[in-house]
Amino acid sequence: MRWLNGYVPAITRIESMNNQSNSDGALLQVTGLNTRIKTSRGELRAIQDVSLTLEKGEILGLVGESGSGKSVTLRSLLKLMPPSAEISGSVKWQGRELSTLSSSALRSVRGREIAVIFQEPMIALNPVLTVWRQIEESLHAHTDLNRKQRRRRAIELLTQVGIPAPESRLDDYPHQFSGGMRQRVMIAIALAGDPRLLLADEPTTALDVTIQEQILKLLLNLRDELGMGIIFVTHDLGVVAQLCDRVAVMYAGRIVETGPVNAILRQPHHPYTQGLIASVPQAGDEGTPLLSIEGTPPSLLDLPQGCSFSSRCVHSTEVCRQRLPELVKLSEHQQVACHHHLHIQQQRQPEEV
Amino acid sequence: MSETITPREIPIISVEDAMVHFPVKRSQIQRLQGKPKQFVQALNGVRLEITRGETLGIVGESGCGKSTLARTLVGLLSATDGRVRFKGQDIATLVGQARRSFNRQVQMIFQDPYGSLNPRMTVGQMLSEALSVHDMRPKHAIPARILELMDLVRLPADSIDKLPHEFSGGQRQRIGISRALAVEPEVLVADELVSALDVSVQAQVVNLLLDLQNKLSLTVLFVAHDLRLVRHISHRVAVMYLGEVVEVGDTQTLYRTPLHPYTQALLRAAPSLDPAARGKNVSLTGELPSPLSPPAGCRFHTRCPHVTDRCRVERPVLTLKASGQKVACHWA
Amino acid sequence: MTTLILSRSLTRSWRKRLPWPTLLGVLILLFSLTAAFFPAWIAPHDPLQFDYRAILKGPSAQHLFGTDNFGRDIFARVIYAYRIDLQIALFTTLFPMMFGTLAGLLVGFYGGIAETLFQRVVDAVITFPLLVLVIAIVAILGPGLKSMYIAVGIIYWVFYARLIAGEVSVQKRLDYVAAGQVMGYSHLRIIFRHLLPNVVTATLVYWMTDMALSILLGSSLGYLGLGAQPPTAEWGVLISSGKNFMDTAWWITIFPGVAIVLTGLGFSLIGDALAEWLRPGNH
Repeated sequence: MRWLNGYVPAITRIESMNNQSNSDGALLQVTGLNTRIKTSRGELRAIQDVSLTLEKGEILGLVGESGSGKSVTLRSLLKLMPPSAEISGSVKWQGRELSTLSSSALRSVRGREIAVIFQEPMIALNPVLTVWRQIEESLHAHTDLNRKQRRRRAIELLTQVGIPAPESRLDDYPHQFSGGMRQRVMIAIALAGDPRLLLADEPTTALDVTIQEQILKLLLNLRDELGMGIIFVTHDLGVVAQLCDRVAVMYAGRIVETGPVNAILRQPHHPYTQGLIASVPQAGDEGTPLLSIEGTPPSLLDLPQGCSFSSRCVHSTEVCRQRLPELVKLSEHQQVACHHHLHIQQQRQPEEV
Repeated sequence: MSETITPREIPIISVEDAMVHFPVKRSQIQRLQGKPKQFVQALNGVRLEITRGETLGIVGESGCGKSTLARTLVGLLSATDGRVRFKGQDIATLVGQARRSFNRQVQMIFQDPYGSLNPRMTVGQMLSEALSVHDMRPKHAIPARILELMDLVRLPADSIDKLPHEFSGGQRQRIGISRALAVEPEVLVADELVSALDVSVQAQVVNLLLDLQNKLSLTVLFVAHDLRLVRHISHRVAVMYLGEVVEVGDTQTLYRTPLHPYTQALLRAAPSLDPAARGKNVSLTGELPSPLSPPAGCRFHTRCPHVTDRCRVERPVLTLKASGQKVACHWA
Repeated sequence: MTTLILSRSLTRSWRKRLPWPTLLGVLILLFSLTAAFFPAWIAPHDPLQFDYRAILKGPSAQHLFGTDNFGRDIFARVIYAYRIDLQIALFTTLFPMMFGTLAGLLVGFYGGIAETLFQRVVDAVITFPLLVLVIAIVAILGPGLKSMYIAVGIIYWVFYARLIAGEVSVQKRLDYVAAGQVMGYSHLRIIFRHLLPNVVTATLVYWMTDMALSILLGSSLGYLGLGAQPPTAEWGVLISSGKNFMDTAWWITIFPGVAIVLTGLGFSLIGDALAEWLRPGNH
């Protein structure tokens, strides 16, 4: 399957690996995920009706701004939300329904089959334990290796994530690593359980651009070598373009558009996606005002009846304010939630060369 | 409205080999052990000239010293060595009235929309304070001027009696801008103005800055890590690494043909919106050396693909090249 | 009697708005103030009146809290003591609060040597139990309320200063302080116009708790005979006067104790409510 010019993912390698998952395609299938959070000011509808699928070895980008619900989606998949959150909906992992699992059963899935990495390694890593202890903890919980084997595996993992001199670095504490290195350590810990799916919540947002590039390339290599699926949450469209195969755009707690990265970036169908892409400064337009989306996202406590984007959308009409647009299929892999997407596309056609 | 810049005009700000070293606190035990004092070398001999009316972008990654430079230029930090001149005068020598005058003319807008405004002062109080301390307007004219400022930053008039927590991040940045503009400065230093904002809000604030830059003929120092944004609004760009300026030049030329290996790596590493541009190789390997003990010779030599023996011992100086760019590199 | 009716009707209208701890605190405070300013409204008997016909009588309809060994009405004595004890609360805390806040602001803002020196002073003071220090100073100056005020004043400002210095050193790292410096504002302006409003909440809340503790301190000294002197009605003095009768006439010691606890509670609750109310973004 050719997704992008010149860059063919190693699907063949993945298929030849033995795995016990269901033979029918989708690794992860999420349907109608809803999360409501009880706050002192009322009920916050963090995400509504989120559905997505992930194939083996696929990298899905979840992109949106603050309040879009992208982090909440990730955390809701594994019930990593605070107790004030009510999560409903179906999460099928390799055919198994996760949403009805007991908390102990879910715990065994977390870390072993599905791993998570976060944005701030300094917060996610325990500052008083050495890196070795933290990897070992994961290995001990998720594998049957003995101590010597665990030590060897830990060194393997550190090498795999690109940490030089791993034998000596194993006994260092998190604060002795730089930001990029800490992120690699977190990835190593995540890989300890041999996961088939990696959930990444903005792991490179706090990193410098050159270090970010290193981590993104690392993730791509790991995906090729291990056949892992990755759901990568970010607000940076550039990262999506460089890392992801498919992307889902979120706004005010809903998915508004999904599709292959190539297609979405070249021909976005949803006005919000169009606005996001247009607000990135392009070479050649220097000094001119950037196209920006006027206004601000609605409060999740008080969402409008119709399309949440309508108050900021130049194309909005009465029907947008009254009725919530459902996700409609544009093609096999593309969906968009907008009443006027056809009309908007026709308007844009003459601009596109 | 903007003046034409003649080459003979003295730069409005010039930085002459400025060094800023922060001492690292030692515990009593370390002092007794006789361990030598350590310094974080935040700025190490920065040479820069800013011309009136231009927007100079400053880019670099963590530890490059761009924030330290920004703070030194407005006088929040003093140079441990070297000097910073404003309109020819060494700012370290300014005291009293002269110092306050300098503060009025060189203003700063901060990164953190949540910490940069006093949570207990309304917008109106903040602005009248600025206007009255610097005698910008006679007392009776202050309320009208405040309304003008609100209009300038495109905030509604009823913002005046509100407290900062009632505003969004983007609006708070605009309030910060209005505060800086209240004293009618000539130079505006924006330290990561939009980094803490959402992308769609960034565009709004950047557009405002572009508009103001034109309207008020401001000289702007735009410190940021977003390369695309810097390219969009700057006339010239300076690239910093480990406390030094390694390359500086006209924006278009620098972005199209970067000369310094670090600049090249930086521009290549920035994720482009074109998925076809995916490459296999990493633009820059290795880690940033510690600012406590930066490498000898050229500070970049530990990660440079073109390193030679000369680079390991001899520190390169910013030299003017044919294209008009200044580069500090033995190889370029 | 009228105030009690007044406060009950107030309660009804405010119950919708205020959470019950705040309400309770406010009621206690109102009651205390009424008792302090208009004790005669609440207590029908004269606190100083001896009545040899009613010695050591238990609580009754005539004498709500019973009588002491001189026949004095305990209820009246407890109520009239409000004036003294609230005075103690105010005067022992006022100077430390004001001077301590000022010192804390300066130490926190300037840091450096001032901060190091201040740390040593704090270390010296907190080594000793507060009561011991106060007693020592009062012993030197001679017993009495004035000595107590001086003793507490000398020592207690340190705690306020430490609190404020801590708050200031956190606040001064925030960009709005840097913005003030870039604006060219004088240190005076930054300290008093910018920093003070942001740290004064801590002071006010601490002050409330401090008042509760001061009542305890004042009563302790009164009990020991080092604070208020008999025959002044002060809760500690009252407790002391009843200590010989604890097994026969418990009411002489218990009721003043209850007053101490109740008033202390009242101040604590007000302090909590204040902390909540003063947070920016709360109203």
